[in-house]
Amino acid sequence: MTRADRILILLVVCTMPFVYFHLWVSDEPANYLVIRSGSNAPVTETLSPDRMLHIAGPLGESIVEINNGRTRFVSSPCTRQVCVHRGWLSNTDGLAACLPNRISMTLVSQHPRFDAINF
Amino acid sequence: MIEHLTRLGCLLLALAVSGCEQPKDPVFHDQFFAFGTLVEVSLYGVEPQRAESISKVIEKDFMDMHANWHAWQPGKLSSLNKHLANLEPTTIDPSILPLIREAGRLSQLSGGLFNPVIGNLVALWGFHDNALPVGTLPDSTRIRELVEQAPVVSNISIDDALITTVNPSVAYDLGGFAKGYAIDRAIDRLRTSDVQNAIVNAGGDLRVIGQHGDRPWRIGIRHPRDNSILASIEVSGDASVFTSGDYERFFEVDGNHYHHIIDPRTGYPASSTTSVTVIHSDAATADAAATALFVAGPDQWLSTAQNMGIRQVMLIDKQGTIHMNPEMRSRIQFEPGLNAEISLSAPLQ
Repeated sequence: MTRADRILILLVVCTMPFVYFHLWVSDEPANYLVIRSGSNAPVTETLSPDRMLHIAGPLGESIVEINNGRTRFVSSPCTRQVCVHRGWLSNTDGLAACLPNRISMTLVSQHPRFDAINF
Repeated sequence: MIEHLTRLGCLLLALAVSGCEQPKDPVFHDQFFAFGTLVEVSLYGVEPQRAESISKVIEKDFMDMHANWHAWQPGKLSSLNKHLANLEPTTIDPSILPLIREAGRLSQLSGGLFNPVIGNLVALWGFHDNALPVGTLPDSTRIRELVEQAPVVSNISIDDALITTVNPSVAYDLGGFAKGYAIDRAIDRLRTSDVQNAIVNAGGDLRVIGQHGDRPWRIGIRHPRDNSILASIEVSGDASVFTSGDYERFFEVDGNHYHHIIDPRTGYPASSTTSVTVIHSDAATADAAATALFVAGPDQWLSTAQNMGIRQVMLIDKQGTIHMNPEMRSRIQFEPGLNAEISLSAPLQ
């Protein structure tokens, strides 16, 4: 083995963890927002530009804000306002739902770390 | 040297390209609302049209079970409760008989910490209403009365399908168990439909069968106090992962937090636990055990788990200490930067 071969192997070994982490393990920010309302087909929204979404549910209209790659329920016609109090979601797999109004939203990425979230 | 650098460049390019060209996700996802929560069905390697059809059947199953098992809306379980309150013998509908029997068995194994017949107590706390109480607590005298009446499953006898009781205060509320039982029925349905690799996730409690292609399913466990991920596990074959937490259904009065997991011994929300995560083969047992271990708390969870045949438990107490048995510790991966004390128990046999 020549000196150049050893340098080559060293470079590859040093590079591999970075490549692996970057492509497969990174807790990257979410890429899309998936919104479900009742039994309707899910709707996928991009996380830019910033905007408000008005979503109809059986109790009335829920308003979702997209801002700077994050999202949240701004208002919803439910009693307890659990969805609104959940606040901003920014990371992949973030989930908020207004169960009374049958609306849910999930942040997803192209390379999700998990197949399901337990809570 | 140029030849070596060329080799290196080709190698890195191949690595980068292999990272970019991942195959399209072969998992079908569907969601629907049932049992007051969001249910997600994930099927691996099933042709989309067939997967859609199977998921619709599961959705209908969930809707039927929810209607039949509801503790306070008109249905088979609420009708049964009326007969029990009047001490009238009645015949249990075949659609809920296995559920009632299994709830009784698990309650006895838990030493009554999972108690499916404290429906009157749960109702008194307001957890039978979609809108939870605002600014008021139940009357403490009434709580004490209901605790002293001591409704337990041993007050009930079931002969064939005929059910009788000697205690009029028993009232079934299967909230700590029905979701798990329903998930088990959904997995049965998937297997009879020849689906071997799937997740059924009802509001964060889930059962997994098979795996995701050539790798296990990856499950993230959410931190009980924020939106972050606390830990993760890899699961393949057949396993249920259930968590009971004080953050699921609650209300606040004068800055104090009152959640939905009632300790049948005191009549008040169990006070020493933040969350319990259980891994077990069937979802119904995992569901009942998560409730029982939450009530048991850091002092009694180990003996209760032993009695219920549970082998993998993680309990987070009110101080943030993580209690777990060695088998659970060996399969769970905490996220980097975890700042919590871990208390390892004796092994569960």
